[in-house]
Amino acid sequence: MHDMSAKKSLLIISRQAPWAGPSAREALDIVLAGGAFDLPIGVLFLDDGVFQLLPAQHAGAVQQKDLSANLQALPLFGVESLYAAQCSLEERGLSAAPLSLTVECLEDAALSVLIDRYDQVITL
Amino acid sequence: MATLHMLSHSPFSDNRLSSCLRLVGAADGVLLTGDAVYALQPGTAHYQALALLADSIALFALEEDLQARALSAPARVGVVDYAGFVELSIRFDKVNSWL
Repeated sequence: MHDMSAKKSLLIISRQAPWAGPSAREALDIVLAGGAFDLPIGVLFLDDGVFQLLPAQHAGAVQQKDLSANLQALPLFGVESLYAAQCSLEERGLSAAPLSLTVECLEDAALSVLIDRYDQVITL
Repeated sequence: MATLHMLSHSPFSDNRLSSCLRLVGAADGVLLTGDAVYALQPGTAHYQALALLADSIALFALEEDLQARALSAPARVGVVDYAGFVELSIRFDKVNSWL
């Protein structure tokens, strides 16, 4: 951990559905930029943000650019701390659904522990 | 690493407050600004949810946003002005703005 001490860790909480506006893409842009600079970075998909994880979405049908390529790029950019809120998945009928990324599903109590671990948090 | 969670959207049209209360840590604080102060409207589910929060979680509301909306804060809510807002953002380890 000592060599990381100069770099502040960052948790991005992404809580908007993929086509609800620019938020989902902007959250991913921050993550990829942070990853490119080797920041210790994590992503938590919360609320409607978990809808970003559904495979086989067709962005072109609503004249949007595909997000899945950005999502798949996360591990390539060294962003491997990926989490989703279990309750958000359950509320949306997704607790057993196949997701396009491997994420760790966290219960409510684990969410505050996760946030505690990071130096900075951005919720979009 | 206590977090100050800052909310500015009405809880009646949006689930930010509900989600925040689900993941708020025992040593965290919650600051209501803008339309988020409508959560302090007495007799509502959101008011009740805030009242039921653990005592260890500090609650704050921005004074001018309360005044503008003819709301008052119950005793456990710390009412702060903008200087107090700045002081809070320094007192906590980090600020999580629910944008």
